[in-house]
Amino acid sequence: MTTILRTPKDWPAILLPTAVTAAATGADPLDIDAARARGAFVGLRRTLHDLGATGTIATIAASGLRGRGGAGYPTAEKWRAAAGTPATHRYVVANGYGADPSSATDRTLLESNPYAVLEGAVIAAAAIGATEVIVAVRSDATDAIHAVETALDRMIAAKLAGDDVLGSGRVVEVTIRPVQGAYMLGEETVLLKAIEGKRGQPEQRPPHPTERGLFGKPTVVQNVQTLAAIPWILANGAEAFAAIGSKTSPGTILVSVRAPGGAGVAEVPTGTSLRDIVALAGRNATKDLKALLVGGPSGGILPAELADTAYEFDSLRSAGAHVGSGSIVAADKRACVVDLARLLTRFCADEACGKTIPCRIGLRRVSEIADRVATGLPRPTDVQLLADLSTDIVGSALCDHERLATLPFVSGMRYFRSELDEHILRSSCPAGVCRPIAVAAGAAH
Amino acid sequence: MTDLLPRPYAETNSLQPLDDSLAERLLTTQSPQRPQATPRIRIEVDGRVVEGFEGQTILEVCRDNGIEIPTLCYEPKLPGFGACRMCVVDVEGEEHPPISCSRTCEPEMVVKTQTEEIRRLRRTNLELIFSDHNAYCLPPCQNKCPSHIDIPGFLKANAEANFTESTRIFKRTIPFPSVLGRVCPAPCEEHCRRDEVDEAIAIRDSHRYAGDQVIKSMLDDGIDPPVPFEIQPRSGRRAAVIGSGPAGMAAAYYLLIAGHDVTVFERDPAPGGMLRYGIPQYRLPKVEVLEAEYESVTRLGGKIVCNAELGKTFGLDDLQNQGFDAVVVAIGCYETNKLGVPGEDADEVLDGLEYLRTATLGLPYPGHAGKRVVVVGGGFTSMDCSRTSIRQGAAEVTLVYRRDMKDMPAANEVHEAIEEGVQTIFQAGPTRVITDAKGNVTGIEFIRNRPGAPDASGRRRPEPSPGTEFTIPCDRVLLAIGQGPELTWIGPGSEGPQSTKQRRLKADAVTFLTDRPGVFGTGDVRVGAATVVQAVAEGRRAAYAVDAFLKGLDLAAIKTRQQLAEPQPEFLSIVPFTSEQKEPRYRLKAMEAAVRNDSYIEYEIPYTREEVVAESTRCLQCTCEAIGFCDLRRLGIEYGTTLQTLEPQNHQGAGFRSVTENRFTGVNHDYIRDDSHAFILREPSRCIDCGRCAQVCAEVVGAACYDFMRIGFDTLVTTPLDMSLNDTPCVSCGRCAETCPTGALMPKPRVLQKYEVDESRCILCGICVDACPYDALRDGGDFELSHTSRVDPMIDLIALAAVDQETEMTYIRRERDWTERAAADGRPVAPTRLLPMLPAAVAAQIAKGDNGGAGNGHSHGNGHAPALTAGHGPGGGAGDHAGHGHG
Repeated sequence: MTTILRTPKDWPAILLPTAVTAAATGADPLDIDAARARGAFVGLRRTLHDLGATGTIATIAASGLRGRGGAGYPTAEKWRAAAGTPATHRYVVANGYGADPSSATDRTLLESNPYAVLEGAVIAAAAIGATEVIVAVRSDATDAIHAVETALDRMIAAKLAGDDVLGSGRVVEVTIRPVQGAYMLGEETVLLKAIEGKRGQPEQRPPHPTERGLFGKPTVVQNVQTLAAIPWILANGAEAFAAIGSKTSPGTILVSVRAPGGAGVAEVPTGTSLRDIVALAGRNATKDLKALLVGGPSGGILPAELADTAYEFDSLRSAGAHVGSGSIVAADKRACVVDLARLLTRFCADEACGKTIPCRIGLRRVSEIADRVATGLPRPTDVQLLADLSTDIVGSALCDHERLATLPFVSGMRYFRSELDEHILRSSCPAGVCRPIAVAAGAAH
Repeated sequence: MTDLLPRPYAETNSLQPLDDSLAERLLTTQSPQRPQATPRIRIEVDGRVVEGFEGQTILEVCRDNGIEIPTLCYEPKLPGFGACRMCVVDVEGEEHPPISCSRTCEPEMVVKTQTEEIRRLRRTNLELIFSDHNAYCLPPCQNKCPSHIDIPGFLKANAEANFTESTRIFKRTIPFPSVLGRVCPAPCEEHCRRDEVDEAIAIRDSHRYAGDQVIKSMLDDGIDPPVPFEIQPRSGRRAAVIGSGPAGMAAAYYLLIAGHDVTVFERDPAPGGMLRYGIPQYRLPKVEVLEAEYESVTRLGGKIVCNAELGKTFGLDDLQNQGFDAVVVAIGCYETNKLGVPGEDADEVLDGLEYLRTATLGLPYPGHAGKRVVVVGGGFTSMDCSRTSIRQGAAEVTLVYRRDMKDMPAANEVHEAIEEGVQTIFQAGPTRVITDAKGNVTGIEFIRNRPGAPDASGRRRPEPSPGTEFTIPCDRVLLAIGQGPELTWIGPGSEGPQSTKQRRLKADAVTFLTDRPGVFGTGDVRVGAATVVQAVAEGRRAAYAVDAFLKGLDLAAIKTRQQLAEPQPEFLSIVPFTSEQKEPRYRLKAMEAAVRNDSYIEYEIPYTREEVVAESTRCLQCTCEAIGFCDLRRLGIEYGTTLQTLEPQNHQGAGFRSVTENRFTGVNHDYIRDDSHAFILREPSRCIDCGRCAQVCAEVVGAACYDFMRIGFDTLVTTPLDMSLNDTPCVSCGRCAETCPTGALMPKPRVLQKYEVDESRCILCGICVDACPYDALRDGGDFELSHTSRVDPMIDLIALAAVDQETEMTYIRRERDWTERAAADGRPVAPTRLLPMLPAAVAAQIAKGDNGGAGNGHSHGNGHAPALTAGHGPGGGAGDHAGHGHG
């Protein structure tokens, strides 16, 4: 089980309530009565008995909740679109796949607070008029599968899901679907394909899944974190939620932190500075800080000077990174940014689904350019080529994987140009990471 | 007998005569299921307002309106897939350009399909595809051939000892395999990739053998030579070709195939031009080869009028007055260039061509025996002059050329001349001809040249070095220093055509049009003296232009299409063939020099059958079978992402470049060809992973033989586990090969077979018609009616019965009107496509012009009720249906 990092007492705990995360208390996160005692299922009851579909969506809209899957799309708008598309059948898909191998946020949430995720999903289904909820979990996350399956059984027994939820006559069938596939399964259209039993390849958007999703029906695909926040919003009010964290994207968010000397998952209010988040990982975490990789394998590499950037969708995007998989990796002086970007690009290229040309071949060529730079054998045109190719890949991309996969290198070029130039012009790696340079020195060009 | 259950449709299902009013009502009532008219929307594309239907994609609307958007993965039968990213377009107000194949149109959308940015994105995509496209298009030999013969194609047929097919393939680009097999300088062989293994293939000698076999069977057994294309129905248009040399006769040949009447006018008493009067008998036998091969033109209906000279016996006006719709001027180059030195006007300084003309007629040139002869020049004419002089008993023959031996246009023939006793002097140019008091030539003075700076042809320009003059005593000088065309005929009676500054006939390089309407110029008269193969290529291309002109097509549009269609030099991948077994070239044996010196018979001993098969088998077949069908190649040419030239100096000295080399060059895949399946050939290295085959196979055919395999850069659309197609549910329908935009999936080339249908066993199920991917089987007239019932069968029965008893004739009339409409639209309709499918009696009626509208007494009326009796009922009588099944 992943370490859950201790956060300051005054930080709100919505997704991972302290009652279950404090290992010392020995609390069982699957105890449904304890969950009720913490206020679970109040939100579901309100939706079904007081608010109704429109009232629920209005409350979510008032809370300002934005999807935690990485893109930060307003949740209420998504629900409205799905509810507004005429259809005989609708779906809610809870995305708990957690594609990024370096980030365990989703599975930690499913293990620690499965009731919140399932309740949120049932609320979403009720709000958009869906009768089926599919919870996609990574098939190797066995603890998470066990937790969410047990929780579901207990909820069905308590009439909190299944036929006739809470006596409302509403049917919400919840299915747990362990899925196994590559990194690309994190992309929503790919995930839908996988659930349909097809090869995981993205579809062109528009039409968005809210219009034509799973089996061609309107589908709301929501990250498990987003769903887990919904019961809290309905139980405690939209204003209370909107008051937490950043103004433009309120609430809390789970972050996977890796830093020299420590790693773990923490729940932080949005808008917390990157430096404060990294500091949670341990005493030495921010020592000699050189670069921050924010957003997972296709994230941006930010310099230490930008460590005060707020962890929030819009400010990260303008800095050249994104929330992405919710991971922050702190690199100290020992790291070489070129090498880091090279590894990330190679990962993204290798994990491409192979559908489109710019992704399948283009990313591979970016990765080859990176290899050339790192091994001290760059071509004189490589920097220009990298810039041109990245622009064109983004220009004709199909999905966000393709659009973001060049980000490590592009942001690295933006903030660490001198280090890149050292590699290209002098065949030397300032951090001493890129070893073959010693061999190839002088042989460049 | 009573029904156990009530039959709701019992009444309408019966075959009772219909009440008129009921039929009327049924026919005019719209079914509620019938889709109502789809609302139309307007969008702006490239500044033009176009109309489409709601729900259509941008691509569909553009295609409906004739706006071309490139695609590679789009399959019209299926929804847009979005893998190739070639159909990106710019939509006003959108951050990322959407792909037009899956983006639905919205009213008032402003779309741009060809902006700078969009073209750049497409170009990048193409370059990325090519960087992993480990394949090549045209083989270098075919590239280098001026006529672009399908060399691997005919060599393959040769290797199978199918010489008729080999000749047929050859004749697609050159009608004269035997002639070219003797006189072609074979530029193809210089670029043969077999050279990297051991030695180049003897391409020329191989087609010579195949052509000779065809001539042999024509002369001995009276078998017509193969015709490369289907002969088109007579168009009734007439074309005159002036000049019966290689260019003129090639033009005549392809014009005849295109269905036009052709008359060839020849100045000399016999046809052939330079082939007859410029090339000696020992290289090209006149009767056995030239005349025999020209017979393939006359057998197609071409008329040859000899002793008719342009400008003397007739003019262009005369031809056009006689009703010739097009005139092709292919009179060649017959005016020998002058030396420009003193003494040139002496009697014994002869025009080499004039000399050859007599000699090739088999007549000894007056006073040649015993003379000391100097031949000036280094081309094929100089070779022919000197070698013929030897045969005519000249005492001494000296060949003088101003450049080095390796720079000679006829470099590969010079050794044979030396063998026969010709003396050669290189790098010397004539300065004056020395004559005695009587004006007889006594010698010729030369000056030594030294090589100067390279000129445009890459050869070093000869520069005289003063003080090195020397004299060769001689009695006769033959000049063979190049020729130009005679253009004195341009004038009264033939006004219009212009000449160029280089003293050539001015004609367009693609449309071949001269400045006089309806008059075309091709061959040497347009480009100056060149090789036979170049002349034939000119003639063929001119024939296509003339054909387009005679059909009334837009020649400017043809020009663009021809330029695209003409093979471009690109896409060569030089993979060292280390694994090939070494097997040197089979060389043609030649007679001893001593024997051939006083003989005019062919000195080369042709291949035996075993030798030619063995030689042709050596061909490495470095070609892509999809050439001409490949969308990737077409787009590569259009977007300039292909190599433009073969010349090594343009590739930083690296020799030929491969298709995979561009700015993105990196690792690429080299997959193994799979030819295990009987009908479908898989070449995964040519796959661009568009996924069309996978989609079509799964969604249309239902077999699902293909899918994407592996991830990342190594993704490949292939069979499960990359197994043979034999291990999949493949039904051999060929739809995958049909949809493949490149040559990754192809119908497997195989020996052509004809199939017979036993009509007595055919149950007319029509499955073969539905399954045939190439429309080789079509629904016939009656068959059409028997299965048009897509709606409720009940409605159909009534509707059909209500259209009175004229059903069949109505149908036939509709079909015939379609033909007329097609003809009015300029769409070609071969009458043979339609008529044989009709009952013989009906076809005869149509031919007579009887509409059949009034009469109802014809034999088909009462019996024809195929739809009513499920298929061909007995009522029609077997006689009616004989011969018009669905074959």
